[in-house]
Amino acid sequence: MSTGTMRLSREPALLLSPGLLFLLLAFFFPAIQLLAQSFLTVGAEAGRFTLEHYAKVVVDDFYAGVALRTFRLALIITALCLLIGFPLAVVMSRAGPTLRTILIVLIILPLMTSVVIRTFGWLVILGPGGVLSWTLQQLGLIERSMSLMHTETGVVLAMVQVLLPFLVLTTLGSIGQIPASLEEASRTMGAGFFGSIYHVTLPLSVPGLASGSLLVFALSISSFITPSLVGGVRLQVMAGSIYQQMTGSFDWGFGAALSVILLVITLMLIVPYMVITSRVGGRT
Amino acid sequence: MIGATPRWVLGATAFFLVAVGLFMLVPLLVVIASSLSSSEFLVFPPPGLSLRWYGEILGSDAYLNAGWTSLKLALGTVVLALALGTPAAIALTRFRFAGRAAIASVFLSPLILPSLIFAIGLLIVFSRYAAGPSFLGLVIGHTVITMPYVIRTVSANLADIDPNLDEAARVMGARWWQRYLLVILPQCRTGMAAGAFFAFNISFDDAVIALFMRAPGVETLPMRIYSTLEFSPDPSVAAVSTVMIAMTMLLVVLLNRVFGLSRIA
Repeated sequence: MSTGTMRLSREPALLLSPGLLFLLLAFFFPAIQLLAQSFLTVGAEAGRFTLEHYAKVVVDDFYAGVALRTFRLALIITALCLLIGFPLAVVMSRAGPTLRTILIVLIILPLMTSVVIRTFGWLVILGPGGVLSWTLQQLGLIERSMSLMHTETGVVLAMVQVLLPFLVLTTLGSIGQIPASLEEASRTMGAGFFGSIYHVTLPLSVPGLASGSLLVFALSISSFITPSLVGGVRLQVMAGSIYQQMTGSFDWGFGAALSVILLVITLMLIVPYMVITSRVGGRT
Repeated sequence: MIGATPRWVLGATAFFLVAVGLFMLVPLLVVIASSLSSSEFLVFPPPGLSLRWYGEILGSDAYLNAGWTSLKLALGTVVLALALGTPAAIALTRFRFAGRAAIASVFLSPLILPSLIFAIGLLIVFSRYAAGPSFLGLVIGHTVITMPYVIRTVSANLADIDPNLDEAARVMGARWWQRYLLVILPQCRTGMAAGAFFAFNISFDDAVIALFMRAPGVETLPMRIYSTLEFSPDPSVAAVSTVMIAMTMLLVVLLNRVFGLSRIA
């Protein structure tokens, strides 16, 4: 747009400044305050610089265990999302308009439903005498009623359902950019159905799959609603213990330190995500 | 046939799609089914059908107040997010200036920061510099996380429209306010509508920021549902959740009408 450069630069500045000022005060300032809080002492000599909150995270075996569980679960959840999400995205990209719309609704309707409600659904499914237990009993697969509440399996199942849409939508964007002619060419030249997917579609979807799984991993380590309700206190994850520190035991310095650690890890994942998405043209 | 798909693959695909469909939808369907239960407890299968839980929530001050709070919160968020986000999107799509890409990523950065971490920062700021978390604090928090959606939808919308219309208005002597009121804002209409639906949906559904910014006397529906689930879930939670699912469905339909679901995917 060459016309834009001729305009007074005052106009975009006026349009941008309310939003920028708002973000500065309501977004960046809180983020900096969080960072500061994690390095400050609390209690009698409040406000002095300290590293004690970070030391506590490292020294305390309990929190090391919580961190380990958080990352192990996030890895499993991401892997399962990839396993289900990639074939689903491939089918969606090739489906006719009707099936495609049905599948998009299937992904978007749960995505747009509150996480609290989806988790509620999982409580009804996984709980003792719940839908899963009843179904398995009816099928004669189990004899007594069972429950997956307070188990890692239960947390993983619910989290995969919550996060799958993010992976599918990101991957779909990148599969959509693959010209259909490439797959046709590979089939003409003798590749089988799976050969074509494995040698053509899969490698070309890598940017979408990579950014989708980074996103799922980052969202997974910072989730607390689903893990807290399905996993309970016995299976605490990092985000859950942050919630407890901030609203229950009011140890804000420690809660802030845990959040900063989570933030640093998220940024280490998200920066590559942004590089990947901007390289493939990005979804604005 | 070049693109031929083996028969058994079609069968396997159909099976896979049904399985994934069940996996994605059953958590919503069981909530709807539980809301129609005649039992006091959340048991499956429900012993009988009844609409009593809907009567229960309509007679419950706690749920009605929470619903009213959520509605005010979501509407306030929509207004603020549109007011701040639309001008920014116009500037980012219709003008070229130094640092445009950097400013664009600043505006989208709330999408990157997990809302959990933002919520804690907001809680610290409101506790230190204000009288603690409040309804206004929630509106501000939700505006931060929804503004990027308004910017994305309005930008996508403006990218489809000929920028020369605005140029023509200017050449023909339109004043700045005439250009914005008569040309540019009407052009942003669908983007603003889609952004408003997203903002409403996100604000109405959010539990993360709401739970951290818990203020005395301010309870939203997701907060109420969360605390009920923690302690004593009964079918009245399912009835409230079903009403919220119905609202989400309505929003998805409206979004599809206005903006097209395939543009989100």
